[in-house]
This record gives sequence, structure tokens and C-alpha cells, in this order.
Amino acid sequence: MDVEYVVLYSFLIISSVMLINCQQRTKEKMYDKIDAANGCYRRLNATHQIGCTSKRGGSTGVIHYCRDSSDLDFVINVGTAGPYVPVLPTKLFIAEIIEKLITSQKVSGLILHPNNETLDYFTHENQCPNPLTSVENTCGSDSLWNPHGTGLLYRDIPFPIFYVESEDEITKIRKCFDKFNNFDRDNQKDRSLCSLELKSFMYATTNSQTCRRRSNIVTNLNPITFCDPLGDNNIWAALYPLVEGPQRNETEPVRDFKYIVIAARMDTTSMFEKTAGANSPVTGIITLLHTAKLLKSLLKQEDVLKAKTNVLFILFNGETYDYLGSQRMLYDMENGNFPVKGLSDDNNILPVIRPENISLFIELSQLGNSKDNNLYVHYLKSNAEVDNFSSKLQLNNNNIQFHDVPTSLPPSSLNTFLKHNPGLPGLVISDHEKSYTNLFYNSIYDNSSNIEYQYYNVTKGQEIPKNSIQQFITNVSEVVAKSVYEEIMAVNYTGNLVSNVELVNELFHCYLEDPNCKVHSATQKGKLPKAPLSLYVGVDRVAHYISTMTSLTLGWFTGDVEGEGNINCTNKPKNYAFRYYNMSKSIDELTVTLCFKITMNLTEAKSPAFIIEDYDWSSGLYSSWTESVWVDMGG
Amino acid sequence: MDLAKLPNEKKLNLCKRYFKGNHSHKMGCALLPFVWTVNAVWFYNEAFRKPEYEEQKHIRKYVVYSALGSAVWFAVLVTWVTIFQLNRASWGAFADHISFIIPVGTP
Repeated sequence: MDVEYVVLYSFLIISSVMLINCQQRTKEKMYDKIDAANGCYRRLNATHQIGCTSKRGGSTGVIHYCRDSSDLDFVINVGTAGPYVPVLPTKLFIAEIIEKLITSQKVSGLILHPNNETLDYFTHENQCPNPLTSVENTCGSDSLWNPHGTGLLYRDIPFPIFYVESEDEITKIRKCFDKFNNFDRDNQKDRSLCSLELKSFMYATTNSQTCRRRSNIVTNLNPITFCDPLGDNNIWAALYPLVEGPQRNETEPVRDFKYIVIAARMDTTSMFEKTAGANSPVTGIITLLHTAKLLKSLLKQEDVLKAKTNVLFILFNGETYDYLGSQRMLYDMENGNFPVKGLSDDNNILPVIRPENISLFIELSQLGNSKDNNLYVHYLKSNAEVDNFSSKLQLNNNNIQFHDVPTSLPPSSLNTFLKHNPGLPGLVISDHEKSYTNLFYNSIYDNSSNIEYQYYNVTKGQEIPKNSIQQFITNVSEVVAKSVYEEIMAVNYTGNLVSNVELVNELFHCYLEDPNCKVHSATQKGKLPKAPLSLYVGVDRVAHYISTMTSLTLGWFTGDVEGEGNINCTNKPKNYAFRYYNMSKSIDELTVTLCFKITMNLTEAKSPAFIIEDYDWSSGLYSSWTESVWVDMGG
Repeated sequence: MDLAKLPNEKKLNLCKRYFKGNHSHKMGCALLPFVWTVNAVWFYNEAFRKPEYEEQKHIRKYVVYSALGSAVWFAVLVTWVTIFQLNRASWGAFADHISFIIPVGTP
């Protein structure tokens, strides 16, 4: 059949029985596109291919609308007109059923839809996320981090799957099914049936090594890329500059400093080409951002210089995929390539920061599903620094109960650093003790309602309730900021910290609802897409809005004001330690522009596996994830 | 070229040249088996169907050799293609490096 559509993201075509109408082309009468479908695609690592693919040119199957699993039994055991494309509510998307569908070989594709049902849990991550790159024995029967995880994200599924959110589209499919397929089922194969053609043909196969090799063969007559490494940027900023000096172009690096790292992860994933990520990673990101803002107001540059301790805020990207961001950051640090590549130790531009310079590693993990204001401080090895900091958290509690969880380490970037140096003082603050309280981890349903977030328009007089997630995250960041202050100053904090719950409210709005929010308008002037920005790490050759926006926000919060905002701000002499930006004064004064000197920077978050020449893929040393190319996706 | 209009002597020369892959024809070694095939088909009538003439014996010889040569070559080719296609995936890097076109979506 001659069908050619070139519209991305509308991969589905319902072909139904022809209706008589000579005005339109037959093709248009027979086919109907389904919009807003999110596909599942293929990823690869050093040993496996995972995810979905269609046949080349598309996989076609007879629609079978299923209300429950008994409808599915017809497809598997009785139906003769196959192959079928079952249309399932997401509650039936469980490992057992998918395995059955795969082994039956009667299914050529799958459509999922939410069906307006509330699910108790929905997570297709492993029960032990990142099993190969986490510290050994940190996930087991007594602490299965993601007990409801089906692991379907890592299953190689031989047919395409699409998630269709719009119930209108599903109604269209169901009507077609009722009209042509859903009667006299025994004789289905003798008549024209309503079918779906799903297109998501993946180029890459086997494993990352194979598809990368094939992408780089020069003798190939038809050079095409089969897969791209996953990757984006890590974002980091120092609380105060890494250099000192009177003049903008006469600065000296501040050497022999210790660094307290405050880290969080940047990314999530999902089975489909759509992410949510409200709890993981958004609560962590926002807590980090707000902590940075608070610490900037608490600590002065003199304090930092006197204590010879600076704070590094780091947002690691791609952590979902075997900690690729933190692995790369550590690799860069070990090789003396952080903060900038290729500087000698005695250069006069920037201090070279090595893993040994980190005195304490504080990671903000998922914080949005806390039960009764309980938070957990995980650490693998007890030592003075960790105990000390943990007791500070408990003292500054802000009505949050901080509980120590010794010899415990949930999936976190800290895993990477502890694998390299088990003695590193490090802790992970999270909303869970032994297993995730987030029952929608790495899925499309880790959304606003999962953390019970609701935007309050403060300018219209709405008040943010005391029991809201905004208030909770504000409180957490206050506690962390005060504790870090005490850690650096070695005195108790006695001041009256003024935090900004409205800002936190706005930040959630930016990440979960509207990228064109006040904070993003304050830091840059560009127009952003209307839908929430994707939090999937993506492939390394594509620039991602989310990391750009987040880096600007972090820069804004940690920057120093250098006078009026104008053209001179960005035109002044270059200095490798700083970037200069014109940004708004605050979210309430968006039109007042000031010149900000910020230390924020980005470093490449691409696994060392792809930059080490002759990397031994079987070593399992580094994250090896790639994503298949699917150039010709389109119905 | 119409063989019927050619004198027998020239027919023999032509058939011989095709068999030997004479360089004046600029046919390289790799294409020789194709030329043999053409030769065998083209001169089949001359060799086996025409009434006997002096040069026919030689033409027949070249036609038979050409046919055999190309048959052997095709057998080798088919064998190689089969082996290669069956083992392409398991040979890994080696197979990729000797490929000019790597199919997408295949192991």
C-alpha cells in the first residue's frame, strides 16, 4: 500500500474499511492518523538492546480493544485474524502480560492509554536501579529500592508500543473496533477489519559497541548513524568564585580549598517519549537551587576565603543510565580536567579540582513523597564528617524528622564517587528509608499529582498552604543551607533566615507546568516550548533546553551583581572563571535588569566509555548507553 | 555485432579473446567470470548448433571452458555470499569492515 506521511510524532494510521465518497482520495478515506502518541524506542548498552521497534515500514495489526485481561485472552488464545494490536489501559501494562504477548507471537504492536484510572503504582525501572554501576550489596532483599519495578524498561520488546494520552483518539480507535471487528469474532479473518499501522523502526541493533562501530566505518558506501551515545551536560556552580583579584582581568586562582559538594540528579526516563519526573528529579533540583540561593545570602565571600572551603553545586545528568554524568565528572576530576579541560596544576586561570578536594558530598535525592515530614539520611560508612553533618540536620530540623540510615546507599551519584574512594564522607538525603515512597519512579505518572503539587498564583492573592510541597521543599532547603553554613563557619546559625516559598512555588511551575515561567523569563529572553521540558537525558549531539534553563537559574542564584544591566556587562574583558549575564533583579521585578557575574558552567556529560580510545566494552567500567536512530519515524 | 556476418576465423578470435579476457577489451580480472558467461551464451549456437566448420572445434572448446569457469565461479560466489550472510552478525567487527553497505535494524 502506498502510504507516505512525513509527520513526526504521529506514527499511527487507522486503516478502516473504505467508505463511499468520491470527493476524497481513497487513501484519505481509508486511513486516519492518530496524533499525540508517544513511542517507545530502542536503547543499547554494552551487552543488550532494550526497548521497542517496529518492522521496517511499519507493523500492522488488527485492533483489539481490551477492557481487561480476559479480552486479551481472546487475542492470545482464540483470535485467528492476527497479528493483532491490542489497545490496553495502562493498568494492564505489567511484566507478566507483556511476556505473554511476546511469547504468543500474535501481537504486532501495542497501544496504551490511561483510561482515566488511578494506579497504585507504575514503574518500569528495575527493582534495583543501575545494578551494575552501584556500589555492591547496596540493594537486596532487605532494601529493594523500587519494589514495584517491573524492569520492562530494560526488556527487549519485539513490537512497537505507543502511549496515547488523548482519550478522543482512543475513542476513535474503539469506535472503529466496534464497527468492524467486535462482532462475529470467529469469522474475523474473512472480512475487512479495522487495523493499525505503527511505525517506529529502529536502526541500531545488538549493543552499543556494534552500533557505534557501524556508525563510524569510513569505507561504508552509505554512511549513516545507527545510534548516538546518551549524554548532555552536567551543571555546576561554585558558591563563590574559584578565583580572587581586584580586577576582572587580573584574577588568581584560589588554591588548596576544600569543597563541599551539594549534588542532585538532572534526569529521569520513561518507557515512552515523554517524561514527568516531579519527584525524581525535580524535587532534588529545586531543593538544590533554593539551597544555593539561601547559602548565597547566608555566607559572605570572606567567610568562604577564611574557612578555605567553598561549596560546589553539581547537577549530574544521565544518572538514570548508569550514572553517566557523575562518572564523567569524576573521570574529568581524576584527570585534572575539572573545571576546565587541559589546565596544568600551577596555571594562573583556575584551580584544578580533584576528587580528593571534596570534603563532604551531600546528595539531594527524591524528596517529594515524604510521609509525615520524615526524611532519611543514608550513608554507607559512618565517619566524623557525616555524623557531624547529620546531627546538624537534626538540630536545624524545621519540623522535619531526619533519621539516620547507616550502611545504606540508595541509587545516587554518590555511588560513583564511593566506588572510586570508599572513604569519601558522603550522604544522601531522601524521602524513603528502605524502598522508594515514590511509586511512579521513572514513569510518566511521576507528575504533579504524585507529589500533590498545585501552583498558587501569589500575585492574584492565592496563599501557599503550610502543608504544601512548596513549603516542605522550602523547609528542607533551609535546613540544608543552615547546616552547610554551620559546617563552614563552625558556629551555630543564630540569624533569622528569610526563605522564599514563592520562589519555590515558581520553580515547580517552571519544571512541571510552564517553561515560560517567571524564573526562566528572569534569566533569559527566549521563548520556550509550551509543554514542560523533557527531563530525559537524550543524545549527546542535541542541545537540551532543560539543562540550559537550569544552569541559568543556578547561575542566577549564585551570581554576584556587578552593577546595572547593559551591553557593557557581556562585553567586558573575558575571564575563564566567570560568565556575565544580564538578568532580572528578581521574579517580582522582571523588568529591572542587572549585570550578574556567575561561576556557573557546564561540563560534558557523556560517558567516558565513548571518549576513551580502545575502551574495553566488556569491562563494565562505565555507562555504555546509546539510543538508536529512527530517522524514518512517521506513519 | 551480428555473428552471422562474421567470417569463421574472426568468430574464433572473438571467442578466444572473450575467454582469455584480453586486455584490449579492458575487462579486469574481477569481471572475467561475467565475460565467460556472456561468451558461453553468445557462442553456444556457433559451437553446438551450426553445421561443422574448421574453427568450430576450437570455439566449442572455449565455450565449454567459459561455461565451466563461470559455473565454478558462481558456485564459489554463492557459497561465499551464503557463508557471509549467515555469519555476518557473529563475525562482528570483521564483517562490518568488509561491508560496503550495512543494513539498518539488523543484527
